[in-house]
Amino acid sequence: MLFPTLAFAVFFLFVYLVSWSLDRENGRRKLFLLLASWFFYAQWDWRFVGLLIASAVLNWGVAALIVRSDRAGRRKLWVGLGVAANLTILGFFKYYGFFVEQAVDLLAQLGWERDLPLLQVVLPVGISFFTFQGVSYVVDVYRGKTAPAESLLDVMLLMSFFPHLVAGPIVRASDLLPQFARVPRLTREMATHGLLLIVWGLFKKTVIASELATRLVDPVFFDPSAYGAIDIAAAVYAYAVQIYCDFSAYSDMAIGIAALLGYSFPRNFDQPYRAASMQAFWRRWHISLSSWLRDYLYVPLGGGRKGLWSSCLNVMITMLLGGLWHGAAWTFVAWGALHGGAQVVERLGRAVVKDRKVIPTWLGILITFHVVCLGWILFRAETFDLAMQMLAGLGRFEAFSLVTPFVLALIVGGLAMHWLPPRAVEGLAERLKTAPSPTLGVLIGAAILLVEAMRPEGVAPFIYFQF
Amino acid sequence: MSDPTDPIDPFPTQAHPPVSPFPPLDEPVAADPSSDWIGAADAHDLPTRENALVALGRFAFPPAPALDEEGEASRARRWTSQTLFVICAFLMIFNAGSLQNWARQQPPGWGQSTVDKLATVWVDQLALLGANLPVDGLRDAWRDAQAVQFDGTAKDRS
Repeated sequence: MLFPTLAFAVFFLFVYLVSWSLDRENGRRKLFLLLASWFFYAQWDWRFVGLLIASAVLNWGVAALIVRSDRAGRRKLWVGLGVAANLTILGFFKYYGFFVEQAVDLLAQLGWERDLPLLQVVLPVGISFFTFQGVSYVVDVYRGKTAPAESLLDVMLLMSFFPHLVAGPIVRASDLLPQFARVPRLTREMATHGLLLIVWGLFKKTVIASELATRLVDPVFFDPSAYGAIDIAAAVYAYAVQIYCDFSAYSDMAIGIAALLGYSFPRNFDQPYRAASMQAFWRRWHISLSSWLRDYLYVPLGGGRKGLWSSCLNVMITMLLGGLWHGAAWTFVAWGALHGGAQVVERLGRAVVKDRKVIPTWLGILITFHVVCLGWILFRAETFDLAMQMLAGLGRFEAFSLVTPFVLALIVGGLAMHWLPPRAVEGLAERLKTAPSPTLGVLIGAAILLVEAMRPEGVAPFIYFQF
Repeated sequence: MSDPTDPIDPFPTQAHPPVSPFPPLDEPVAADPSSDWIGAADAHDLPTRENALVALGRFAFPPAPALDEEGEASRARRWTSQTLFVICAFLMIFNAGSLQNWARQQPPGWGQSTVDKLATVWVDQLALLGANLPVDGLRDAWRDAQAVQFDGTAKDRS
């Protein structure tokens, strides 16, 4: 059940009405939201609802054991076991096939031909997101950064809440559990902001991302050898816009849907292509993941506490594992290595020039954007061969065939939206919150109608569903 | 009279001010009579007579007490629900075709067939009123924009 579908709209309206009718009984409201979330998840594969429940029980149990342990060693043991169990679940479903294939190849190269047990493991949607949430909950309880949940119901809802369940943002326990403590208060500002985010997300996903994918990106990345430099370069820029509009649209809609139910999610994107360095890019792109990697991987590795070279090594490890988190393929590892390598170069450069400004901001933005685009080639290409063909094609000048004024306008528009005022949607919500409900309803309805007129037939799944 | 200081120079450069053409009087001046003027008074503070009808109205329908936090939240929920209702009604009228398309994509069965028939009747009736024209017009304009090539020609959309 995808967000931009009529089926989801009906589902959401039902959840909205019932959940607010239970506003006097927080426990029942949360139970209803949990059941609705499981129903939502079961639309992909009902068997994995059991996995979701098991994962929640595991994390709730481990957190309870940590709280009850009075010895530091025992607490450390429990948190270690909890993290390991979460990573085992993720590893089995997401990386089992990948590592077995690598092991078979390695053994073959060493002269040992072995038939290791290959399983066709189905990847549960959103497993990377809910296991990371589980890890953050257990670790935060261990560190004393968040109080343990009042009940198993809270942990289950924390991990299963349908707006963020399948593609984030990764909402931490410290953000959401306090909101579960009582029935949330809906304000006009939240509601207006939520509605605007939903419409804005619909536009980005169904108009910009879908059109660019079908008209340019998919054909060029499928067979780069059939196209010249202009088509390929345009496809790379188009993919940069597509993945931003696709993923940020999901986050916007998730935040908007949660807001209409009274819950507040953290921002996940902040005009990432305005970043003037790779470090700044990761402060603006998929913020919930980058901050997760910082707090639960980079800092425990030592962060920047042990000097420059140690921090460079830690950044590299973090980005490599961040790349692998996105998918079980070497192209993702290479993508992570590129981002890690670029950040290492930046750190070393900063250590040399200190506080002096060496390049102007506009040049920094341009360079950062093109490094990110280079990374997107690795990210999007299914194999290294195709990625290399894309790079080789950038030197092959032929007449273009797929670039049209319409496609160009979408690319330019997708990039131009990064130069809107940073809190444009919030500002608009602030103005519209005083409008009478019929006025706002007609305005939002007209905006949806406009999107509906522009969108192509059908809706492709969000890119980040595969992660 | 041809006094050089008349009119007075607005930006005098002399160190001392010019001699005033109105020197102080030598004879004593009588003090002002005492005033009943109250400096802190405001016209809005003066008592006004309430309109009898307004007074009666307030007696019959006393104003509601100021809303507490729960009351504010309840009002915001009602406002949001009304907004959602208006959005749904607006789309049911002007985008009824989506409902029909959705119904036709569902697995066949009694429910699907019923929804499809209802949607078809709804779409046909609204088409008689021209409710489909805005979205169809927008869609055509959008498709035309999609078909434009760099040389200004339009690619055949068929």
